[in-house]
Amino acid sequence: MRHFRKSLTLLATCAFLQVGTAHAQDASTKIVANPLELTIHFHFRDKYVYTENWPVEKKAAEWTGIHVKNVASLATSNSRDAFNLLMASGNLPDIVGGDVTGGLKDDFIRYGMEGAFQPLDDLIAEHAPNLKKFFDEHPVVRQTISAPDGHIYFIPYVPEGEYSRAWFIRKDWLEKLGLKEPGNVDELYTVLKAFREKDPNGNGKKDEVPYFAREPIEAVRLINMWDARVSGSERYGDFMVENGKIVHPWTTPNYKTGISKVAQWFKEGLIDTEIFTRGARDREYMLGNNIGGMTHDWFASTSNYTEALKDSVPGINFAPMLPPKTVSGKRFEDSRRATVQPAGWAISYSNKHPVETIKYFDFWFSEKGRILSNWGIEGVNYDMKDGKPLYKDSVLHNPKPVNAQMWEIGAGVPRGYWASYPSEEQWTNKMALDGIAMYKKEPGLLQPEFTGVSMDAKERATYDKYWPSLLTYMTEMQQTWVLGAQDVAASWDAYQARLEQLGLSKVIKVMQTAYDRQYGKN
Amino acid sequence: MTSRMTHYLKGIGEDLRRDWQLYLLALPMIVWFLLFLYKPMEGLQIAFKDFSPFRGIAGSPWVGLENFRTLLEDQIFIRAFINTITISGLGLIFAFPVPIILALMFNELQNEFGRRFSQTIVYLPHFISVVIVAGIVINLLSPTTGVINLILSSLGFEPVYFLTQPEWFRSVFIGSNIWKEAGFESIVYLAAIAGVSPTLYESARVDGASRWQMIWRITLPCILPTIIIMLIIRIGNLVEVGFEYIILLYQPATYSTADVVSTYVYRTGLQGTQYDLATAAGLFNAVIAFALVFTANRISRKVSSTSLW
Repeated sequence: MRHFRKSLTLLATCAFLQVGTAHAQDASTKIVANPLELTIHFHFRDKYVYTENWPVEKKAAEWTGIHVKNVASLATSNSRDAFNLLMASGNLPDIVGGDVTGGLKDDFIRYGMEGAFQPLDDLIAEHAPNLKKFFDEHPVVRQTISAPDGHIYFIPYVPEGEYSRAWFIRKDWLEKLGLKEPGNVDELYTVLKAFREKDPNGNGKKDEVPYFAREPIEAVRLINMWDARVSGSERYGDFMVENGKIVHPWTTPNYKTGISKVAQWFKEGLIDTEIFTRGARDREYMLGNNIGGMTHDWFASTSNYTEALKDSVPGINFAPMLPPKTVSGKRFEDSRRATVQPAGWAISYSNKHPVETIKYFDFWFSEKGRILSNWGIEGVNYDMKDGKPLYKDSVLHNPKPVNAQMWEIGAGVPRGYWASYPSEEQWTNKMALDGIAMYKKEPGLLQPEFTGVSMDAKERATYDKYWPSLLTYMTEMQQTWVLGAQDVAASWDAYQARLEQLGLSKVIKVMQTAYDRQYGKN
Repeated sequence: MTSRMTHYLKGIGEDLRRDWQLYLLALPMIVWFLLFLYKPMEGLQIAFKDFSPFRGIAGSPWVGLENFRTLLEDQIFIRAFINTITISGLGLIFAFPVPIILALMFNELQNEFGRRFSQTIVYLPHFISVVIVAGIVINLLSPTTGVINLILSSLGFEPVYFLTQPEWFRSVFIGSNIWKEAGFESIVYLAAIAGVSPTLYESARVDGASRWQMIWRITLPCILPTIIIMLIIRIGNLVEVGFEYIILLYQPATYSTADVVSTYVYRTGLQGTQYDLATAAGLFNAVIAFALVFTANRISRKVSSTSLW
């Protein structure tokens, strides 16, 4: 900790020393002649708060003249609580933001319509050229964050890049067993069966776990092989859109087939018997003990295991592969990066300087602000080469991951900003980059994302009334089927009837109305 | 009427003057009750409103019994309510007698060291956090590496994935709770047993009573008031099953027996920030708990002349 603080001071000093040299060119980014202080409540990811002490924020203050002063307390270790408490107090600072469990998008919109936040549309049109340009070029982002009354109430954290997760398989096991990479669902069955029975790890025990997963959303991902989707977005059990109609993926005929096949594979031992109870550290356990054969997980982080485990698990080659072709001969990848993260910031009703604030928000979407928010400080964290920022070697070859280093200086934090994929690409390992390139080459691999709907108060009331119990029941039945406690074919009609009874069509109806209003004119 | 009132108030005044030290001692607790248990009751009105934190309690519109209607129409809530009663009811039957039996057994131990030692051992689990207890339970019951399943399979049985089977959930939950709490709860009964007058045992021994007879005829009847008070308190908690431990142990696959009101409130109310619905569920619970305690107390006063108030 002390070491960390020391390095922060050092960085801060560096930033300070630069002031003199860089001053002249900053006239264009100045928002106010005299320094203006804005208060901000920004508690994020359960353990951080916004701080003006970040070198990146100091630089921004120096360039814009806007100083943001955090009022969120680190005494709470739950960002959702911190945000809710602030709203309940009614005493809002100039800027409110954060990144919390479940996302803040719905909160920004709901409280915005109740009068807590200022609508930003006119402010953006008049004072924020960069934001205006961004929204004009990315109409989907604007649609996604629009409230039912048509206004925008917050500036989101916008990720960049398309691919997030992929299928990973022990290619060294395939080689050992003389099998080729599974190209379709039948070959996949053969491979998983061989993993189970032919002792690829060579310890004489039948302890191999052919398919494993560490997140609930991945547990039944194999239903993809029967053209069924797990979720329309990166949220667990979310809706999807098919030909302009809102559908829940867990009510389709494909799902019925998929989940019964997955149940069968589970029974045959091709899927981890403890898949629902292992939890987040499953990947380390399965790969570290040399028993896991295949999973569906993040490109970047999963690719690191082959490198990290090469001494303890000799020969390990856990590499990405293309999604095997489904029963209908299609090939698709069910997950992707979200278009918009439900995080960011908004201007509260009590803010006396909305124009200056929107200009400050706008700064982060300018070229300069974007580089600053992604790469940190020039000369300290990165250098410009051929007009492009490149991380310094001291950043890349550091025992700490690059994103962790960036967070410490206030770059890459979930403020309303536009992430830059090249900054991430530079520290993603080769295996992941090759995998992404492989996925990219395959046309039409990605499924359309359901970016969510903004419901008005009445629609939301209906949704809130029925949806939690529906999701509970669907999840319960999913596990019941996979674990073999009930037969899918025998209970499917009862399942559909129960969903109807629990209000599924009412939920779909309000979502469809909201969807048509929000995206209809496209 | 007024004269009786003034007389009454005067009585209080005299009481205060005479026993002011006692009242002073009670004061911090009274303030605590007012501040932390009575003051927050004003928040109960949320249950009858369409509550928005930003608009505040006063600014949110009244909706009458709408929230209660939503709850009672929700089959998942009804199921959770039935599960709560079932789990507590079974807990009452199986877990309630255990500390009493433990206390009686400790009382019969003659060797001082052996007694202290075994008491400490059964108290200890009480001080372990539920998170750790849940971790231990999950590991013990794991189908691949758990001790229980290793024993089962060495005896030639198929391993059982206990934590994903609804029919096992109650046994696992109540069983591990007995292990965790029975020892600590036996303290109350041990204290009650210590209060039994030794002369009763002496005269029984003179009359030639066996140890069994002394337990049945002396110890149990003497601690019966304590048992009844504990039972009434327990009945008051019948509609409450602590949610932390359940959340740590349950799975969607076991919702059909494991989902209780508090976990329902947690999932819908707090994760979905529907405070109004969560408050309504809490209030619903409290009213039923009050009715149960009231009835139990009534019955007990009639039957055994022991009561909470």
